[in-house]
Amino acid sequence: MTSYRIGVDIGGTFTDFTLVDDSSGEILVEKCLTTSNQPERAVIEGLRRLRTLRPDALPGAQAVIHATTLLTNVIVERKGALTGLLATEGFRDVLEFAREMRYDIYDPFIEFPVPLVERPLRLGVRERILVDGSVRVPLSEEDVRTAAKIFRERGVQSVAICFLHAYRNAAHERRAREILGSELPGVEVSISSEVHPEPKEYERTSTTVVDAYVKPTAAHYLDKLSGELRTEGYRNNLFVMLSNGGTATAETTKRFPVQAVESGPAAGVEAATHYGRLIGASRLLSFDMGGTTAKLCVVLDGKAARTRSFEVDRVQRFKPGSGIPIAMPVYDLLEMGAGGGSIARVNSLGLLQVGPDSSGSSPGPACYGLGGEDPTVTDCDLALGFLDAGSFLGGEMKLSAERAEEAIRAKLAGPMQVAVVEAAWGVHNLVNETMASAARVHIAEKGQTARNLTLVGFGGAGPVHAIGLARKLGCPRLVIPPLPGVMSAFGLLTAPMAIERPRAVRQLLRDLDLVAIEQWSVELENEAAALLPAASKIDFNRMADIWRIGQDYPLEVEIEGRWSDAGALERIEAAFNAQYALHYGRVDDDTPLEIVTLRVKASQTSSKPAVKPNTQGAGAAPEGMRRVYVPAAGCYEQVRVYVRGHLHSGDRLQGPAIIEERESTTVIDRGDTLTVDSFGCLIVVLAMQEGRP
Amino acid sequence: MKLDSVLTQILWNRVISVADEAATGLIRTSYSSVVRDFNDFACGLFDVKGNLLAHSTKTTTAFIGVMPYVMRDFLQHFSADALEPGDALITNDPWQGTGHAYDLCIASPIFHRDRIVAYAICIVHHLDVGGRFGTTESKDMYEEGLRLPMLKLYRGGVFDKSIQHIIRENVRAPDKMFGDIRAQIVANNVCGKGLIGMLEDYGLDAGSLHDLSQEISARSERSLRAKIAEVPDGTYENEVTLPTIGSVSGIGIKVALTVAGDSIVIDYAGSSGEVSVAVNTTFNMTRSYSMYPIKLALDPSVPNNEGSFRPVTVRAPEGSLLNCKPPAPTWGRTMVCHNLPEIVFGALAKALPGRIMAGSGSTPLVFTYIRAKRKNGRTHVGIASSMGGLGANARTDGPSCRGFPYNVGNIAIETTENDLPIIYLKKELMPNSGGPGRNRGGLGQEFEFVVADGDLGPDGPMLVGIRGSGRKPESPYPVFGRLGGGVGRGEHLALNGVEIPNGPQQALGPGDRLSMALPGGGGFGNPFEREPERVAHDVALGYVTPQGALDDYGVSVDASGKVDMIETGRKRGVNKGP
Repeated sequence: MTSYRIGVDIGGTFTDFTLVDDSSGEILVEKCLTTSNQPERAVIEGLRRLRTLRPDALPGAQAVIHATTLLTNVIVERKGALTGLLATEGFRDVLEFAREMRYDIYDPFIEFPVPLVERPLRLGVRERILVDGSVRVPLSEEDVRTAAKIFRERGVQSVAICFLHAYRNAAHERRAREILGSELPGVEVSISSEVHPEPKEYERTSTTVVDAYVKPTAAHYLDKLSGELRTEGYRNNLFVMLSNGGTATAETTKRFPVQAVESGPAAGVEAATHYGRLIGASRLLSFDMGGTTAKLCVVLDGKAARTRSFEVDRVQRFKPGSGIPIAMPVYDLLEMGAGGGSIARVNSLGLLQVGPDSSGSSPGPACYGLGGEDPTVTDCDLALGFLDAGSFLGGEMKLSAERAEEAIRAKLAGPMQVAVVEAAWGVHNLVNETMASAARVHIAEKGQTARNLTLVGFGGAGPVHAIGLARKLGCPRLVIPPLPGVMSAFGLLTAPMAIERPRAVRQLLRDLDLVAIEQWSVELENEAAALLPAASKIDFNRMADIWRIGQDYPLEVEIEGRWSDAGALERIEAAFNAQYALHYGRVDDDTPLEIVTLRVKASQTSSKPAVKPNTQGAGAAPEGMRRVYVPAAGCYEQVRVYVRGHLHSGDRLQGPAIIEERESTTVIDRGDTLTVDSFGCLIVVLAMQEGRP
Repeated sequence: MKLDSVLTQILWNRVISVADEAATGLIRTSYSSVVRDFNDFACGLFDVKGNLLAHSTKTTTAFIGVMPYVMRDFLQHFSADALEPGDALITNDPWQGTGHAYDLCIASPIFHRDRIVAYAICIVHHLDVGGRFGTTESKDMYEEGLRLPMLKLYRGGVFDKSIQHIIRENVRAPDKMFGDIRAQIVANNVCGKGLIGMLEDYGLDAGSLHDLSQEISARSERSLRAKIAEVPDGTYENEVTLPTIGSVSGIGIKVALTVAGDSIVIDYAGSSGEVSVAVNTTFNMTRSYSMYPIKLALDPSVPNNEGSFRPVTVRAPEGSLLNCKPPAPTWGRTMVCHNLPEIVFGALAKALPGRIMAGSGSTPLVFTYIRAKRKNGRTHVGIASSMGGLGANARTDGPSCRGFPYNVGNIAIETTENDLPIIYLKKELMPNSGGPGRNRGGLGQEFEFVVADGDLGPDGPMLVGIRGSGRKPESPYPVFGRLGGGVGRGEHLALNGVEIPNGPQQALGPGDRLSMALPGGGGFGNPFEREPERVAHDVALGYVTPQGALDDYGVSVDASGKVDMIETGRKRGVNKGP
């Protein structure tokens, strides 16, 4: 019996597809240009192409797992629903106050993001719940109806409700939702007590508003996609990867789409983590460079760094506090406006500048010949010979070297009065340097040093730039896994299907009712398990967020065994103290510990697809030579070009060399050594010298 | 080690991120909202000679310019030989530190291979240090709480029990204070750990770290000097009279800012002497708030360090309001020193109009110290703070409700109501409060709270030390605009609907309502030159009322929100603006 799983990842430029045949381990991949206005079109197109290879791809699929940057783009481009906000009367400006801080004390011209709900659609209603959950002012249903009328007149498509202290008593929010439901049929409603039931009204309001803002888009899109999949013969649930690497059904995602805002990047991290485990590298720097952005993530001992909240749409990309906060767990990624489509220009100071804006898939880089006139990173990579006009996407998409050169000459080389090659190398080198500077800070924040990290490079543009980035950072080793051009889509298939359920506790560790806690844990496990496909075995992990009472930031402690086991509390306390000392040093603090939140993660390990490389062969033989810029030499040379599919495990080759595959190209420089390992990964050991570019 | 431009930049980024990690450690282990949400702290990293290498990105403005001098004093009091790993030094002396006793400065040596290679400092605003609770009425520093001279607080990682005991018997909420002291130790620990990681990665020692400090200071200094050199030489003056504080009126501040080549001298000769209300400013604060506007106007993008201070000399006569001497009371010093950046801007505006912001609505910072006992017998101390609008500038409207020159966050209403026995009734933007201008000032806000009753209410009186807005309508120094922009408006402080004075302590009981309005920022440029569509947009958002649009901008907006061009032309033709 065939049993397929299909991964679909929509990026800013390309939509990627992977199909694994779990009975044979065989993997198929596809790639289409993203159709931004109707993303499902590219999805269906790609699936049709898969079907030409496997006619029963969809009827035979156990799961279609999806990741998309659609929701992030909706926010950044302000293309979400016309959204209203219902707030406690007197507090409708919470979104605009934010934290009342300047994120940069040295910027006299500081600007802040425009709130997703404009002020006339932020309406107060009479109601008030106090900090202990008691009701000071009952909900005025009349006010809610009046607000509904205004929303109706203004054509509001989605409403966020965030009342003060609703995390403690949700009754008013629920009743208001009921009223809006009958007054405004067809309008989506998100309530803060369900989206993010935690104190601090700004973060909760912001998160709830984002949820409401993307909800109609998410619902429309996921419904349409599910429908199309059914038409194509797919019979199971559509699954979506969440920002924290978990997976949820399309139905669950539609209810809380804010959980999936960072779904695409999470899938890439999952894939890098998977390969890290395979090759036995305990410290990784995952580097995903696509058409629009590059993303970095530190992965230690198989665990990617996570954070409890993140920001979208920063006014200043690298300045925390300048964006819209979303309080949702997410992989701690550093995202940079550096991709193949990043536009290069000469700025007002006469200096070269790359990004952060991108030409996307339309018009795309000049060399795509789709009307783009600005030179991009991809154009420069083509001019340098790193990419080949004839073999991009396996030759399916012809690039125009002439258009690339013309754009570089007109917009860069001409104004700077340098040769085209100098301008092109300048762009390539600058985009690497820009990424490296940001990466250094990010790596340092994680307490790591690049020298101990293995760079895992993927994404369409990743393998082209990974060597330069690794060299600048001082990472001695680089891994290019198989299928780097569709790694996120591949990650969708390697990640366990997982879902996490929290429960607020707020009890002193020493006063815990262990029987009740054990009971809650089991309930959470059952809840989580019910959200996963019934097919295979489920593993559970238990965690507890613990702090010293009075603090506001807990540490996550893994709970081994049962709460009711003998000595469990002592073990948990010791684990917390050890972790605390590791992070914060010796402080002579014996404030009692409080359990804040209990969490359970249910996961289902799927069979891990592995790309099977060719076994031992006669040694690597180049397919040909082409004219490529060699950074170590500072000029063009004839360089050996290999086809990755023809390499064998154990093959070893010396740079400079080009290794081409359908979705990407790996470039190594003079002195670098590349070997192919038994998992089909290209392992590059870098030549490290002072003064290398 | 050769410090070429690439390595210098890498290490420079790294020391800043080390200081940022220290701040993160502080926030994550702190026991109070003042650190976690209000962000009233600073973390700094110093080389072995006590030169500032970097400070945390998240920091309050004033502490940056104070840190180097506290560190210097610590190193004069304690020789390096007397320090061991795990030691920590403390002071809250207003003259050696940040100008009032509430800020505890804690410094730690950073050891690597048994030698001191650097120092970390962490300054945090605590909410109570004993004495009279926050009020401008104190007559001398002895009324203002416990003073800790420079002491060794931790020995080898252990809290000194004698000092701990003295503190415990002198403050109202000792556990919270000890918790935050420990968080400050965490900040210094994390700073040390991060720095050692960097030293090991790059094979550096105390000497090469000092070389790095010299190098980045030299670069920062050169950069600021080059910018100063572009300012035309000359002496730029400004003089203002502050609004009445308590019983004292006519407080004058006079500044002469002399640009000569690539240096600046800021001299406050001629300013008022010490005053009998607790707003006297120690020189550390005066200097810090004089440096900040220079950096902001001239060289904002280069990170701050020792070199950033060298091109600017600040002078204030000894024994004056801006260089007070013990035992002058200083609790509310920000009511004076927060005005300094704008006063310096006022002088600089003649030379650099395009780089100067209009006046801001929460200058000086507005906030309330609150102390109350809950029914469970525990004493709670807390702070409630809100911001007025930022002043507009040559490029953009001022953002609403952001502080200047201080930079602290609001504490969430939900957090405040958990910490203190109060219930907010309102917190909203205030229409027409932004100063009119071609670019409009940011809006101010109104808020009101009531003291809770029943189980949530206080046991006994709730003491409130209120520093309301210093921007009084009758003041000769109101929120001012720039180049014809108008003033921001909306100052108001009332208890149960009756205006009350700004500064003295109030005792409130259940049901008492305190309301405050914070002015907007000043406008920039002639409001009659603001595009009518932008005015109509402000009306649509409720930032400006239709009447305000007509009066302040000469723009007539009809009921449908459209600009009446004929009426607008007539109004603007008749009246060319203020």
